[in-house]
Amino acid sequence: MKKWQSMIITFMFACGVGLFLHSSQVSAAEKTYTIGTDVTYAPFEYQAEDGKSYVGIDMDIMRAVAKEEGFKVDIKALGFNAAVQALEANQIDGVMAGMTVSPERQVKFDFSESYYDAGVAMAVGTNSTIKSLDDLKGKKVAIKVGTSSAEFVNSIKKQYNITTTTFDDSSNMYDDVMTGNSVAAFDDKPVLAYGIKNGIKMKIVGETYEKGEYGFAVKKGTNKELLTKFNSGLKKLKANGEYKKIVDKYTGTNAKSANSNSKSSRTILGLLKTNSGTLFDGFKQTMLLTIVAIVFATVLGIILGMMGVAPNKWLNGLSSTLIYIFRGLPLIVLAFFIYIGIPNLTGTKIPAFVAGIITLTLNEGAYTAAFVKGGIKAVDNGQMEAARSLGLPYGKAMMKVIMPQGIKIMIPSFINQFIITLKDTSILSVIGILELTQTGKIIIARNLEGFKMWLIIAVIYLVIITLLTWLSNLVERKIK
Amino acid sequence: MAAKIQVTNLKKNYGSNEVLKGLDLSVAEKEVVCMIGPSGSGKSTFLRCLNKLEDLTSGSIVVDGHDISDAKTDLNVIRQNIGMVFQHFNLFPHVTVLENIILAPVELKKETREEAVEEAKRLLAQVGLSDKADAAPNSLSGGQKQRVAIARALAMKPDIMLFDEPTSALDPEMVGDVLDVMKQLAKDGMTMVVVTHEMGFAKEVADRVVFMADGYILESSTPDEIFSHPKNDRTKDFLNKVLNA
Ligand SMILES: Nc1ncnc2c1ncn2[C@@H]1O[C@H](COP(=O)(O)OP(=O)(O)OP(=O)(O)O)[C@@H](O)[C@H]1O
Ligand SMILES: [Mg+2]
Repeated sequence: MKKWQSMIITFMFACGVGLFLHSSQVSAAEKTYTIGTDVTYAPFEYQAEDGKSYVGIDMDIMRAVAKEEGFKVDIKALGFNAAVQALEANQIDGVMAGMTVSPERQVKFDFSESYYDAGVAMAVGTNSTIKSLDDLKGKKVAIKVGTSSAEFVNSIKKQYNITTTTFDDSSNMYDDVMTGNSVAAFDDKPVLAYGIKNGIKMKIVGETYEKGEYGFAVKKGTNKELLTKFNSGLKKLKANGEYKKIVDKYTGTNAKSANSNSKSSRTILGLLKTNSGTLFDGFKQTMLLTIVAIVFATVLGIILGMMGVAPNKWLNGLSSTLIYIFRGLPLIVLAFFIYIGIPNLTGTKIPAFVAGIITLTLNEGAYTAAFVKGGIKAVDNGQMEAARSLGLPYGKAMMKVIMPQGIKIMIPSFINQFIITLKDTSILSVIGILELTQTGKIIIARNLEGFKMWLIIAVIYLVIITLLTWLSNLVERKIK
Repeated sequence: MAAKIQVTNLKKNYGSNEVLKGLDLSVAEKEVVCMIGPSGSGKSTFLRCLNKLEDLTSGSIVVDGHDISDAKTDLNVIRQNIGMVFQHFNLFPHVTVLENIILAPVELKKETREEAVEEAKRLLAQVGLSDKADAAPNSLSGGQKQRVAIARALAMKPDIMLFDEPTSALDPEMVGDVLDVMKQLAKDGMTMVVVTHEMGFAKEVADRVVFMADGYILESSTPDEIFSHPKNDRTKDFLNKVLNA
């Protein structure tokens, strides 16, 4: 059993290192900088209609600068808050996400020269009577986590007796106002203006608060070279007129819209057709995460489960402790801890996919271990005694006599766990893995078709779960 | 000649409950010892100590010159030489009868698979179940199961066999077949320790009958002595109850 165990551990380790080396080698060889950005913050960043690239003022400037200065960028749409945290943890090289330069942020980040002047504005429903901050007294307001608009609202919260609801991205925040849950939303003025022009049923009221400047950020004291390149590139763009072209392209009178789809592509079938490529990529990523996580979690679960029933108090204790920790931690906390917490401490990057797999393996593995333990214990004691009385060592008795019987007892739990694993992959959207849920968020942020898109995503999940269940039952029948 | 099994001052506690209170017993080669006694007297516990399915609290057990209470003794090797048959058979339900019998010899590389299969077929013939090689254990009657269990234990070619009430979970009409197999084993010179309520079997087959009560061995002598002239009052009492039931 020893040999078997160490082989599996070696294998898992090799896979982890392999993935790790793979991603870090690429960045070293080609001088590619990984830039984090928001999921949607039009006109600064949003996914293009083709569903492949990110466009917007931020994105176009970033790419133009890269071209001027001769480096490559790898854009990661993590969401604003996750991007900022990933930068702090050194997981990415820079953040270009309409980030307002503020003294608090300057403690942790070094900023480029300002590339855009903005400020906070308030938007309310089109029929709303609210005209100024004074009208907000005792009302509910929607804000987006980690933004300077949110900071502004929090600073006046007491004074105006406002309660806040916090969202991860702009489109959910707008929805909250449009559905009437909140009376107003605060966001950067150009973003609000752009959204309204593109069909959000809201209007801007009041003045521009907290005039601010947008800057490109790197982690304090690191990536000096990148910052210098950005500043020099930006200067060149401003000088040669490219900068003005980009800004006009998105905010000028002929500005193009993020969601200019025709009526026909607004039906469910139409949405499916226009987004099929993106959805399929998300689907593939979800399947990959699910399958890899199931394999690792099953191996880990069986090892931990067997440790839990071994005739050794230390192994039992270790098993129980690990199960306790990883079953007890919410998956989302574990994901952030591994993706952001650990790199923050050690300074080494963990690719999001690897972090996601580790997260799922630990969490699902702990659940698996618990029912593996139960399954083994459910096998009659007499079986182990009979096997040992024949002179079989513990490990052989376990593998040849107990486990084959235990596995049969565990099969329904395994199938259940596979389905849970599939569903849990959706939580990994928080660390920016482009699986099905994150893909959905991004598409919706662009086309604002919340109901139809989430319906499509839900149906896709149900289809996968049906297939998975069907496959598992087939395997179950084969075994029995 | 040195004893095949030598038990000296064996004590066994479950927590604070002392179940075996200092037992001494010596079993000679080819001897058949039957253990009788009331329920809860510690017979099973004693038997399970002999191949160390239970840890000893104190005392020593020497089997074939190997002290099994010594932590350095390789129990897996000792156990290969001591077959055990359980009240509830404990056949492996996930494999066939034949696989039950060859599992240990093949896994422990005692024999090649071919040799083991051949030996298993011979053993199945010996216990009268030649036609059941490919049957699933759960399709057998209790008596058949117990005979397979005996064949499985014999497949390791042990020279000691332990039986813990091998017939008490069987329907009466099945008991005879199992006892016949055991009688034949005794005739062939197997060293046997048998916990049983079958007084007829003890009378006929045992070289010695040991009476246990409350964690002590109270009497140990030939079947004739014990059944005709029991000395201890507890023995008399017990025999009265079981023989006149
Ligand atoms: N695993 C255990 N833990 C605690 N106590 C036990 C354990 N096994 C047996 N005992 C106790 O030890 C005593 C002796 O049990 P044992 O099974 O050896 O008796 P027995 O003579 O075989 O009885 P029976 O004829 O009913 O099989 C009983 O009081 C029983 O409750
Ligand atoms: Mg008993």
